[in-house]
Amino acid sequence: MILLEPHNYIIQTTLAEKAIKPSSLDVQFVDFDGVRFHLSTPDRKTALLLSMNIRCWDELVRYGVNDILKREYGSLLRPAPEGEYNVSLEIDLEQLPPEGEERDAFFKSLAMLKRNALAAPFELGFQEQKRLEAAGSGQGELMALHYRDEEVIYVQASSDRVTVIFSTMFREETDRVFGKVFLQEFVDARRLPTIQAAPQVLYTTREAPLEIRHLPGLHDTEDVGYVTFVLFPRHFANPLVANSTITHIQLFRDYLHYHIKCSKAYMHSRMRHRVSEFQKVLNRAKTEQAVVDRKTASGRTMR
Amino acid sequence: MSLLAPIICDNGTGFSKVGYAGNSDPSFVFPTAIATRGPAAQPSRTGPALPSKPGHLASKRGVEDLDFFIGDEALANAQTPGYGINYPIRHGQIDNWDYMERYWEQTIFKYLRAEPEDHYFLLTEPPLNPPENREQTAEIFFESFNIKGLYIAVQAVLALAASWSSNRVTDRTLTGTVIDSGDGVTHVIPCAEGYVIGSAIKHIPIAGRDITQFVLNLMRERGEMVNVPPEDHLKVASKVKEQYSYVCQDIVKEFRKYDQEPYKYFARYEGEHTVTGRKYEIDVGYERFLAPEIFFNPEIFSSDFLTPLPEIVDGVIQQSPIDVRRGLYKNIVLSGGSTMFQHFGNRLKRDLKQIVDRRLDASVVASGSHLRSSGVEVDVISHKRQRYAVWFGGSLLASLPEFYSSCHTKAQYDEIGPSICRRYQIFGSAT
Repeated sequence: MILLEPHNYIIQTTLAEKAIKPSSLDVQFVDFDGVRFHLSTPDRKTALLLSMNIRCWDELVRYGVNDILKREYGSLLRPAPEGEYNVSLEIDLEQLPPEGEERDAFFKSLAMLKRNALAAPFELGFQEQKRLEAAGSGQGELMALHYRDEEVIYVQASSDRVTVIFSTMFREETDRVFGKVFLQEFVDARRLPTIQAAPQVLYTTREAPLEIRHLPGLHDTEDVGYVTFVLFPRHFANPLVANSTITHIQLFRDYLHYHIKCSKAYMHSRMRHRVSEFQKVLNRAKTEQAVVDRKTASGRTMR
Repeated sequence: MSLLAPIICDNGTGFSKVGYAGNSDPSFVFPTAIATRGPAAQPSRTGPALPSKPGHLASKRGVEDLDFFIGDEALANAQTPGYGINYPIRHGQIDNWDYMERYWEQTIFKYLRAEPEDHYFLLTEPPLNPPENREQTAEIFFESFNIKGLYIAVQAVLALAASWSSNRVTDRTLTGTVIDSGDGVTHVIPCAEGYVIGSAIKHIPIAGRDITQFVLNLMRERGEMVNVPPEDHLKVASKVKEQYSYVCQDIVKEFRKYDQEPYKYFARYEGEHTVTGRKYEIDVGYERFLAPEIFFNPEIFSSDFLTPLPEIVDGVIQQSPIDVRRGLYKNIVLSGGSTMFQHFGNRLKRDLKQIVDRRLDASVVASGSHLRSSGVEVDVISHKRQRYAVWFGGSLLASLPEFYSSCHTKAQYDEIGPSICRRYQIFGSAT
């Protein structure tokens, strides 16, 4: 199925490979939203260094990413990250957890580096909501996360909910149309009895939601859309649910674009089929060419 | 220009190699297979399913299109009831565009985890790929995925570029003969300054799969395989081929060596039954040097294809224009897993040199002149990156700054249309 996993396959498979057979390594790769990774063995074959560069690091630091990473990775975190990267983890292949489930879980947690870093504003928002709920009223700070060039995630806590707003930008006309249909479907789909517990989703084009309308520098063109998720306390009541909420909501934009691409493929395969059907009709409509027997002077047939 | 590395996608008949430019190995190597709902047979005459009634889409259940697996997962799910396995590429060329589009979709999003709108792509194509196929590919990549820029390179040219990593190569030239031997078929492709000489390409129906089969036959005849469970036969044979085989310089001598000192030359392969875990051991003998020998003496394996590889290579070069022949002899580049045998390059070089020298001598005798030719330089280049040479060549070229200016960009595509991909620009070579 077309599910996207929160962890990075390349990190997971490479680490598993190197755990069995250490060798020198130097690879660079990419994750969604312009996140760059560098996995290398600078000193010796068994000491891996995993570095990540993320566009909105400064904002993340403000929302407490360092604490989260320290909680998740502890002593693996290198005090000074590698040049031109924001965060570096040191993995000693000689001190891995024992083979089996424990080791797999360890690799998976390393592969979730990007997810954990991006979780910062959400966790902060959830905490803020608890505080505000106790206080009775009030609004938290509007946290903006410029995770792509033209797109921003806003997270804001209130006393009874956390609002997450995605601004989306479609560079392509067709994508915009697909995106629109898709996002409107979100609202419709929520009416199905099976997904009543899902967060409320609102979608507006062009016009920014009230929460962020006062911000300067919002784009005011046709290709901007805003998707608002309203998370209620039940979506982050216990840590397990809260974690999966964060995991899913982070991947929202990538899912959206993945689905748009899939819908296009869906259309294309039907278009191709239709064209080949029409071609068959056209071929049938061809008049049969009369066969003229051409003969040479000596009476032989020419072919 | 973005900092994000271009994506290199080399889709072959058997395996796809994908990864990011600048690395020395592809990030993923998996079978070019897609497992979809429904039988593996040809798509039904009714075509893909359409939603039956209008209304809002969420109520519809037509999601068969989204339910598929690619790569290793496809093979793992091939046995699951309801799924059928398909291979969208046949003989190097894309056969089923519907499957291929979905295959790429999942490669990019699920495995590479890249937003295609942020990346440049370098794709490969086999020699003699019809321009219509390039147009289709461009259409999918620019219109479905909205990629930033696209460069479609010929596999043979990338293999030549990969050979620049060898320290024996001093000038970065794109003239040379590429011997590309994968799993299914072996091609001998002459390239002159980055362009393939299409009329001279030759195919040899001997490649990895045949070598494995040959090893298996030899071992069965000797009775080694009795201990091996039947379902593991092919796997064991291919392991033996990969781990123990080498190319010898003289079969007769090699046979004598083995007979005199069998303990020194016979190797032992230890295996384990995949299901029961029972251990078994087999002796590996003559197949060590006989396996790759089928390139040089094909009559030991097949009865319908009898021309040795050096003769084919010579024939290909002789069919090419006369002014590039020296360059073609001087730079013979190996690519693909089946050229990885030890000493393969040396043997090929020796045999080819013999053919060339014999011809020179004959022409001297025939012309009756006393003038001798200064000789033709023959060199076969093997290097470390041979196995994924095509991918590596792509990675090398795409990390050059010229890559971005040689790409077709989205803006150009929107202006001109798919036909821009009929033209492509050679870059990177020093000459």
